[in-house]
Amino acid sequence: MSVTQDIRTPLGEFWRRFRRQRVALIAGGLILAIILAAIFAPWVAPFEPATPDYDSLLDGPTALHWLGTDAYGRDVLSRIIWGGRVSLMVGFLSVALGAVAGIIIGLVSGFFGGWIDGVLMRLMDVLLAFPGIILAIGVVALLGPGIDNVIYAIAVFSVPVFARLVRGNTLALKQTLYVQAARSIGVKAPLLMLRHILPGAMPGVIVYASLRLGTSILTAASLSFIGLGARPPSPEWGAMLADGRSYLGVADHLTLFPGFAIFVIVLAFNLFGDGLRDALDQKLR
Amino acid sequence: MLAYLIRRLAGTIPVLLAVSIFVFGFVHALPGDPARLEAGPEASPADIQAIRVDMGLDGPIWQQYLRWADNTLHGKLGRSTKTRQPVAQVIGERFMPTLWLTVVAMLWSTLVGIGIGVLSGIRRGRWQDKAGMVLAISGVSFPGFWMGLLLIDLFSVRLGWLPTGGYGTWQHFVMPAFTLGVGVAAVMARFTRSAFVEVSGEDYVRTARMKGVSEPVVAWKHTLRNALIPVITLTGLQFGFLLGGAIVIETVFSWPGLGRLLVDSVSFRDYPVIQAEIMLFSLEFVLINVLVDLLYAVANPEIRLK
Amino acid sequence: MLHTVKRMSWVLPLAATLGAAPHAWAAGDVVIGLDANIVGLDPADLNDNLSMTASRTMLQGLYGFDKDMKLVPVLAESTDSNPEATEYVVHLRKGIVFHDGAAFNAAAVKTSFDRARDPENHLKRASLYAPIKSVDVVDENTVKITLNAPFGAFINNLAHQAFAISSPKAIAEFGKELTRHPSGTGPYKFVSWQTDTLKVVKNDHYWKPGLPKIDNLTIRSTPENGSRLAMLQAGEAQFIYPMPPELVKVVEKDPKVDVVASKSIYARYVAMNTMRKPFDDVRVRLAMNYAVDKNAFLKVVFNGYGVPLDAPLPSNLSGYSKQGAYPYDIAKAKALLAEAGYPNGFETVLWGGNSTITQRGMQFLQQQFAAVGVKVSVEPLESGVAAARVWNVKTPADATTMMYYSAWSASTGDADWGLRPLFYGKAFPPTLFNTAYYANPITDAAIEAGLTTADAAKRMDVYKTAQAQIWKDAPWIFLVSDDNIAAKSKTLSGIYVLPDGQMLTEEAALN
Repeated sequence: MSVTQDIRTPLGEFWRRFRRQRVALIAGGLILAIILAAIFAPWVAPFEPATPDYDSLLDGPTALHWLGTDAYGRDVLSRIIWGGRVSLMVGFLSVALGAVAGIIIGLVSGFFGGWIDGVLMRLMDVLLAFPGIILAIGVVALLGPGIDNVIYAIAVFSVPVFARLVRGNTLALKQTLYVQAARSIGVKAPLLMLRHILPGAMPGVIVYASLRLGTSILTAASLSFIGLGARPPSPEWGAMLADGRSYLGVADHLTLFPGFAIFVIVLAFNLFGDGLRDALDQKLR
Repeated sequence: MLAYLIRRLAGTIPVLLAVSIFVFGFVHALPGDPARLEAGPEASPADIQAIRVDMGLDGPIWQQYLRWADNTLHGKLGRSTKTRQPVAQVIGERFMPTLWLTVVAMLWSTLVGIGIGVLSGIRRGRWQDKAGMVLAISGVSFPGFWMGLLLIDLFSVRLGWLPTGGYGTWQHFVMPAFTLGVGVAAVMARFTRSAFVEVSGEDYVRTARMKGVSEPVVAWKHTLRNALIPVITLTGLQFGFLLGGAIVIETVFSWPGLGRLLVDSVSFRDYPVIQAEIMLFSLEFVLINVLVDLLYAVANPEIRLK
Repeated sequence: MLHTVKRMSWVLPLAATLGAAPHAWAAGDVVIGLDANIVGLDPADLNDNLSMTASRTMLQGLYGFDKDMKLVPVLAESTDSNPEATEYVVHLRKGIVFHDGAAFNAAAVKTSFDRARDPENHLKRASLYAPIKSVDVVDENTVKITLNAPFGAFINNLAHQAFAISSPKAIAEFGKELTRHPSGTGPYKFVSWQTDTLKVVKNDHYWKPGLPKIDNLTIRSTPENGSRLAMLQAGEAQFIYPMPPELVKVVEKDPKVDVVASKSIYARYVAMNTMRKPFDDVRVRLAMNYAVDKNAFLKVVFNGYGVPLDAPLPSNLSGYSKQGAYPYDIAKAKALLAEAGYPNGFETVLWGGNSTITQRGMQFLQQQFAAVGVKVSVEPLESGVAAARVWNVKTPADATTMMYYSAWSASTGDADWGLRPLFYGKAFPPTLFNTAYYANPITDAAIEAGLTTADAAKRMDVYKTAQAQIWKDAPWIFLVSDDNIAAKSKTLSGIYVLPDGQMLTEEAALN
């Protein structure tokens, strides 16, 4: 045994365990591939995503248009590649926003306790009392449709769950010896929360966030379905799927491919998240 | 136990109060003028003002809130501004279809979900586990409305086995309840599996096993019963989620329920209906949470003392 | 035969469980699938086509329309008017009773009209009644309507469903609740209306001999296009409207189902706010007209069902006068834009509704404008938001509308209601629908002249002048008049979609 293998950093330890989750690794690779395709969309996509061609409307898959064309003669494959940017952005930004807000609320609530905790948690209960999609409908109705508002809408209903998760962790970590010790030598509260408690809560947050990414993308699709989603001509996958449903029976490829894209990315995030949890969760080992 | 129940119920009052302010504020912050909509495109400005007064939308906002809160507490929910039908009736007509759809979806998905979860838990690491979990994860990854449309195309149009939508006989329930429940079944399966796996690691299960208790008995008597406690909580949460989450499914299957009503009333700025409906959702959710806590307390006496 | 009935009983489980005796529904039950919920059944309080269609099954007016939207007397036998077009004496058909047993006579007409126009009742259609000064009973079967000012097209107004006559007994009994207890003289009687389903039943005492031919009629709302079509294909409905144009191909393959397309009186347009830059310049407005390929628009949005507009009025509305065309010409559009000082185009916003088909139209327009350098951002508006932004405007200067994509059908079937609400200088929102904020003295004078005479030839003449001027000023992008497309089971006949999108169900029959 070499020396390096004996030194086990937490990250190294995590990687050693995560490596064994083969399905999650594949899912992670898939996610990475989709992200890269989205980033390099201008080079990867064979056509411009918004350029119409009124002479080839609703064509099925051909050698030229691999996944066919839509009602305006736009190339479906190119739109899915470009749409990955939008759908992934919705997923990542909404979860990030929701997580940051949730973390702050959870930390403050758990750390200070008392009436602050009471008020904040009641507030979270109120938010939780609204089923997610209703909250999202409300936010979009309030701010108007459009992809940025969809992001806020989805972020809002992620907040309470992150807040509860972090609060729980904070309550537990507050009692640990090293936090008590740090406290006794007069470390200030913000520093204490950021340096000593937050890292302990992060694994849970990361696992939850990766699972939440899929939910966010699905919710964006549902919002598109009820007409409150991305604005045309955005190639957001949910919007493509919702648009394509008008042509079920005439041009099934318009729902099949975006639907499949959503299914694959959500599945990948879920599998990846599951793998993360198994790797991070000590009890399940 | 009773004291606990009372305390818990009393705790819901501030939540509901906050929700009511929140809802009222939200509805009134929505862009759009319900009086204008109600009057219709051909009305004169004077007509619109008259309708505004008629709807109780005049005066400062806090006055409007107090008026509304007072009326609501006295059971006077007002009339839909869209159809002029009493709100209680509008919601009443749609409550049962949504409730039944939710109950049916919840029943099958809980049974199937727990079943798959237990099977995966017992056969952990083997092919049954993997198949079960792939099925479960696929279930949560499917966009619901797409699945619904595909089902209609297959079972109603191509095969002619089931009605396309609407509410009536048991055949009407099959596809909507299936579509609505898939996501829940998947969540239940994953959750049950991990609860099961967690419990099987506990000392008392190991002891039972060492004492030579047969494997099925261990699974049933020792593992499952304990694993089910957290599953109860999840069931409650999912129930509330379903009540509101049926919006998309109700649209696909033309189900005359509360979800569609909500989307329509938001789009039409039907203030009395939106307010009453969201209050109802919140009340349901809060009560379900109390019920779940109660079940929890029954199962685990320690909680009552806290 | 028994076999078929049995097999159908589970295809139509709802009918099977709710219908009384099996023969009753097998003989003549018709289900119509429509795209939105019925809002009410009080004709004086409705402003959507769908509810008006529903109310038409039960309630009738003095005048009405036949299936080609020609004005026909219904409960009236004839009408005399004075030359100034201010007094109308209507002779009523005799011996008719309402569903609730009340007699139809001059007093009933007066009761119904007076209720509808009473401002205290806040009914949505009070504005259509506004020209009326008084309604007087001359004798049992004659009623005299006096107007505040001359109004040549008044009989057309009487044919509007808002003028359908409710039973005086029902008015007295139900008051504000009339919308849930309709009682008229029509071919069908009210049974129930719950959430998305209206049921009506044959009126055995209907005054037209031999009608109606079916026993029960159900109107069910199914907003989702695919689900509505599936309902028809599965035999759960016999008639659906609208039939989504993009799915016509599916129906053509189905041997049990027919597509019925008919000309509409819809004018589909984009209003450009003529008070705001850059649309205050007629060259810009003309350029926008040249920039849109109307035939491609029809193909993409309506699957080819319709015709390009060649006048401000659609071709089968009375008073239409052909003006020509703004052909698709990108070079000309660019030249006009350059001439107006926008060689590189400009940026603007396009508003419209949020239905699938409306968004498709807007998306197509966005692509067309992009080709001439005009960058348009598309904003689909919910009805609530649209009401606030488009209609709740205090003064024209406050209006934030730039371009508004919409459609209009004159539900009176007459040129006045096809022009005045949209192009009259005194019809700016919130009064009426002149969302282009267009005002031209020649147009205004012509519209006013049309109002003050009942002489048909004179009216045609002034409306010709108005249309020529409007076409030249181009406050709209004149798009298309799209067809009304419905689909029906081959066994069904006698249900017609009127050019304005309402439906006639009186002659419905099953073979």
